[in-house]
Amino acid sequence: MIVAAIARNTFREATRDRVVTGVVLFGIAAMLLTQLLSPLALGEGHRLTIDLGLTSISVLGMLVVLLAGSSLISKEIEKRTIYNLLSRPIGRPVYLTGKWAGMAGALWVVAATLGAALWALLALRGHAGHGPSLAQAVYLAGLELTVLTSLVVMFSALSTPVLSALYTLGAYCLGQWSGDLRGFAHQFPPGIAGAIEVVANLVPNLPIFNMRSLAAAGDTTSGFHLGVASGYAAVYCACVLCLAAAAFESRDFK
Amino acid sequence: MRPAQNGLAGNTSIVPDKKWPVAGVGALQMLPDAGLAISTRDLTKVYRNPWTLQVVRGLEGLDLDVRRGEVLGYLGPNGAGKTTTLKLLTGLHKPTRGTAWLLGVPIHETASRRRIGFLPEQPYFYDYLNGIEYLEFAGCLSGLSGGDAHRQARHWLGRAGLGERPRLVLRKYSKGMLQRLGLAAALLHDPELLILDEPMSGLDPFGRRDVRELIQEQKERGVTVLFSSHILPDVEILCDRVAILLQGRLTRVATVGELVQGSRQRIEIRCTGAGTLEVPANLDGVVECRQRSHETVLTLSAEQRLGEVLEWLLRSRIQIRTVTPNRVTLEELFMATAEGAGSRSEAPSPARAGEPAERRTA
Repeated sequence: MIVAAIARNTFREATRDRVVTGVVLFGIAAMLLTQLLSPLALGEGHRLTIDLGLTSISVLGMLVVLLAGSSLISKEIEKRTIYNLLSRPIGRPVYLTGKWAGMAGALWVVAATLGAALWALLALRGHAGHGPSLAQAVYLAGLELTVLTSLVVMFSALSTPVLSALYTLGAYCLGQWSGDLRGFAHQFPPGIAGAIEVVANLVPNLPIFNMRSLAAAGDTTSGFHLGVASGYAAVYCACVLCLAAAAFESRDFK
Repeated sequence: MRPAQNGLAGNTSIVPDKKWPVAGVGALQMLPDAGLAISTRDLTKVYRNPWTLQVVRGLEGLDLDVRRGEVLGYLGPNGAGKTTTLKLLTGLHKPTRGTAWLLGVPIHETASRRRIGFLPEQPYFYDYLNGIEYLEFAGCLSGLSGGDAHRQARHWLGRAGLGERPRLVLRKYSKGMLQRLGLAAALLHDPELLILDEPMSGLDPFGRRDVRELIQEQKERGVTVLFSSHILPDVEILCDRVAILLQGRLTRVATVGELVQGSRQRIEIRCTGAGTLEVPANLDGVVECRQRSHETVLTLSAEQRLGEVLEWLLRSRIQIRTVTPNRVTLEELFMATAEGAGSRSEAPSPARAGEPAERRTA
């Protein structure tokens, strides 16, 4: 109940933020602009639209995470609105979980809105049959953003907005290349290779949430992949939030 | 050990009565008496700057008992540790040492905040919400169901005088309106204990009167109130007892009457026709003489010499207009206590006690 109340309030905060509205409008405009490039794609215009559309969902979602999420907790501490919450019978882990759930909810709405706009665009061009693959790709993009939200909540609870945005961006970049990082580690002596592998395992394995190429070809992924990705996201978020709660528990609010 | 019954500060005598070990907080910590709304034992907060390792003592070994139904004024100059205490009680700070109980529940348990209402100093709110949304949110956080939260939000918005425009967003609220909204949020779940940090600050005289009436009303309902304030006349009117905190230490807990009792009473004599009046040698040091536009005001510091002074004035054919006994105000007593403690204290601490170096606005 209390988690839901905090989540609802955070969701309301995010969706009333002009930045988020602006990002969604920009995403829709970007999708429309891709239509200008379609003639250059030699009959593969819909592929281009899907690829760029899904990329924009991922990138713009990440932008929302950085702009709105990085100050999610630190702003509450700085503006002292957190006093009104934590002086009530609310555990700090509950507070963090509520903030994460609300922000993740807002990002799901962003991803779903942009995904629906993308599908509508494809349908207008006679490619409505890409719906299932598009839905799967948007679902995985939502999971990716959920994982990144857990990271930004942790960093925001422990650091300033600028630093938490930088840390999250770093985790995003490393996460996108986590597979390459593991391969890269083999070129180093065992000590360094071990350290690189540890980093590669700690950052989120974001390629698991990427099925843009499949969706562009109109193919769907397996239920097993979706299940593994969902399970991985749930476990990763739980671990990060536990870590954040442990560090946040002893924090004094000036 | 069990908190003392008499509510006195310092190392009060502790009667071994009901002793119930509190699970998980060590065998020495026992539940407080059921008649106490707040009980603190050796509550201490030390701030350590992580970069300079400089240590600032915010609160030092606070032993304080507040009985149920009582209104306790928590006084102290800026940086004395008042806000630190309130933050420790409400879970916003973690104590370095010692513990406390709110309505019998140790403060490290989330449940200790279930039946309390807290108004922070200069409260801030989510400016994207409107009044009704904020109060509904606050009600849900305090454990009310959605329907109850909505009902209570409407009721308390009206009580706070903000009911005419329930959809007005909070960024358009004035400071006084925000303060009243904060009070409404602290009260809407019918708490048994109210903790208010400077509830009158930033309010105009009408707002102060409203808050005073609200506190008085809560007192009549049997709600325990602990509030810090710099506005001593309000404290004097409202409080059953006052606690004075100086440099992180509790120096005195007493009723206003007890504080004033024993202090010397001054008598003010207003008279006319005393333009060239000279105080005789035998009354020198007893009478202070001030000339005003149409009158002379004599202040007598020793009550027992009143007859002597009146006799001298009548003999000098001075027209006496009024003779008024002036009780020493809480403000004067507070200032005297603070100055006394200041002169007793040794080398000043690197920062004011009561707040970390970064912020000193207790």
